[in-house]
Amino acid sequence: MFKKTGKSKLLKEAAVIMLCAAVMLVGTLGSSLALAEKRFEGVEITVFTQTPPFIAKPVQMFRADWERETGGKVRLITAPWGELYPKMFSSFALGAKNYDIIIFPAAYLADFASNEFLAPLDSFIARDPKIDWGDILPVYREKISTYAGTIYAVTMDGDSHMFYYRRDAIENPEHQAKFKAKYGYDLAPPKTWVEVRDIAEFFNGWDWDGDGRKEYGVVEGMRKGAQGFWTFFSRSAAYTSIPGQAQGLFFDPETMKPLINDPGHVRALEDWIEMIEFGVPGMINMDNGEVRSVYAAGEAAMAIDWGDVGVVSDTDPGSTVKGKVGYSILPGTTKAWDYVKKSWVDFPGVNHAPYLAFGGWIGAIDAKSDNVEAAYDFLSFLGSPENSYICVTTPNTGFNPYRKSHFEKLAGWYGYGFVHPEDYLGAIEATIAHSNVQPDIRIPGAFRYFEALDAQLAMALAGAKTAKQALDGAAKEWEAITEDLGKEKQLKNYRASLGLPIE
Amino acid sequence: MSMRNILSSFTGKKAGRAFLLPAVIILLALTIFPFLFSLFLTFGKVSFLGGLQINYAGLKNWIRLFGDERFYNALSNTVLIAVIAVASEYVLGLGLVLLLSTKVKGSTFFRVLFFLPMMLTPIAVGYMWRMMFNPTRGVIDHVLPLLGLPVVGWLTEPKIVLYSIILTDIWQWTPFMILILFAGFQSIPPALLEAAKVDGASGWRLFREIIFPLLIPASVAAILLRTIEVLKIVDKIYILTGGGPGIYSESMTLFGYSLGLRAFDLAYGATIAFSLFATVLAISIIFLLITRRSQEITLE
Repeated sequence: MFKKTGKSKLLKEAAVIMLCAAVMLVGTLGSSLALAEKRFEGVEITVFTQTPPFIAKPVQMFRADWERETGGKVRLITAPWGELYPKMFSSFALGAKNYDIIIFPAAYLADFASNEFLAPLDSFIARDPKIDWGDILPVYREKISTYAGTIYAVTMDGDSHMFYYRRDAIENPEHQAKFKAKYGYDLAPPKTWVEVRDIAEFFNGWDWDGDGRKEYGVVEGMRKGAQGFWTFFSRSAAYTSIPGQAQGLFFDPETMKPLINDPGHVRALEDWIEMIEFGVPGMINMDNGEVRSVYAAGEAAMAIDWGDVGVVSDTDPGSTVKGKVGYSILPGTTKAWDYVKKSWVDFPGVNHAPYLAFGGWIGAIDAKSDNVEAAYDFLSFLGSPENSYICVTTPNTGFNPYRKSHFEKLAGWYGYGFVHPEDYLGAIEATIAHSNVQPDIRIPGAFRYFEALDAQLAMALAGAKTAKQALDGAAKEWEAITEDLGKEKQLKNYRASLGLPIE
Repeated sequence: MSMRNILSSFTGKKAGRAFLLPAVIILLALTIFPFLFSLFLTFGKVSFLGGLQINYAGLKNWIRLFGDERFYNALSNTVLIAVIAVASEYVLGLGLVLLLSTKVKGSTFFRVLFFLPMMLTPIAVGYMWRMMFNPTRGVIDHVLPLLGLPVVGWLTEPKIVLYSIILTDIWQWTPFMILILFAGFQSIPPALLEAAKVDGASGWRLFREIIFPLLIPASVAAILLRTIEVLKIVDKIYILTGGGPGIYSESMTLFGYSLGLRAFDLAYGATIAFSLFATVLAISIIFLLITRRSQEITLE
């Protein structure tokens, strides 16, 4: 009895002790886990980016989750597009440490990285499995987020120009017969800029979709002071970029001589000026925001834009063209200007040179920030495969796909409202993965060059100058800007941006 | 020395100066210093490499400005907008003041209605007119063909674009003229007008010899204030055209903004800003001299 009772008591006592131990162990583990999770308790990081919704929205979407997980705080400061660069630059240059993180256009990277304003991120990325760096497409990973071989930014957005056409217009047998009779070849999605011109002319000024209203050939953003110069480069890239040759789009990488007035660019500008005749009335005053709404309203047969025309056309409730839009890589040319040999080169097929206009939004950290660890952690959280997928498939984030995984999972795209997501993603992937893809200009003073070009393009589009006169004017101004910023230094920066040996 | 003694030593002029000191310091810090710093920038070259560096560049920025075709274009656009817009606003404003001052039924309602555009922000006005001027979806180009008139490229035709901008400015700022001139009109003693009427002065003579001369001080203030404002026009143009087509609607401020803050060429941006300041100052002085002279002649 005693023995039995004693044994039972002992067992009971042992059970109680083990339970207590287990509770203590769980408690200890739990509290240590909690401590580990709250690794940035009391740390506040400041993120600076564009005024919501576009670009700032992902920060708004995910900051509460990160704060809950880490104990840190995220303060979001925003400014309109035009104020981003001056505010960022002055904060860095004056050492004001106003922002720990900036989410900014990739075109500014060279300015900031060459001045050592940004914290290098190679070591952070190397020891961070969550960010899955290898999942990011090589052009963004190795070119857009990198400067002179060092990673300075986390990719947040994939931006490239692509081409849009109305399937219902081009696949209509009646239109096809009329087109062939007039131009002598089959009506199909255009492969070259010459075909774009013919198709734009054919569909201009008549009611080809039977809605009782007149439609037009094309809509492209041409407005001065907006994004027109990117559309221009999308048109001139194939006329000036020969596969395998160092970039012939902006400067001669041996001498820093501007190539902007080369015959390839002049030809592209002449093509572009002609488009005004076949475009939606008022196109010369349209920015890309207006291009999207005009195209979604069914007013034009073709358009050039980032991925946004596709998004608006298929997912906007007011769109009249849902499911009717076709997507493709930018059209090409059958000849291109060789800036080394100074002659035209003819191609047996089509020379495509898709252009990474703008290059997308990237996130970087102030090199002088007191909270680099926490700042990187938030960038990694925001740009993780899971969260970035939500961003690229959510309206009004302004982010487009840039990871392999973004292209593989179609469910989110159908949920977003796309009718043919595989075509949309296929066109983007074909652009980004193209062997002759042209990155945007990434040297200090990029926007001084763009501003000078923009004014000259606007004068040519308005008929105040010929294409040649305007681009000669731009070349002259580009030379003056290069001299002002230091020719040797700019040459080194340009070569570094192209991944060419500096010395 | 006790606090009471310290305070009692601050009397008369000394105390006055001491009380003024904070305001003077704030004025120097917030107004005079940025002004002088900007002036200094016009003779410099700004570099941010290794921190903010401003090197003396002599007259380089000014020489560049006077050889820049965009500067002359922006200057002539700005002056043209100012002259036509302010003159039209003044004439319309004066006419409407005379109408509103009569005992017409509902004049209070119209007074409030006329003031509405002035209460809108220029950005909102810009977007509103940009939508109305839209060639395919805008109300204006929708109505014109119904009246048998041709469609107009309001914001895309180089010869028309400045007048479209002037039209929006007149629409928004004529109420300002009404406001100032109406206040001036109200200050005219009714007895004076009654006496003139008793002496047989008709409507036109009453206006020419009594009302208009007495409205000159209010007119000078209204015209000068509007001229200074219009010479700095940027917001509506930025929204309506961005300065295009080409550079046909680029104003001085937009030109300065493009070069100074978009291209981040701060020294040249400051030079453009100072050239605008000089233009505004010169026009204001000339205007004041002319009006003072005309007032002297009127008094004689």
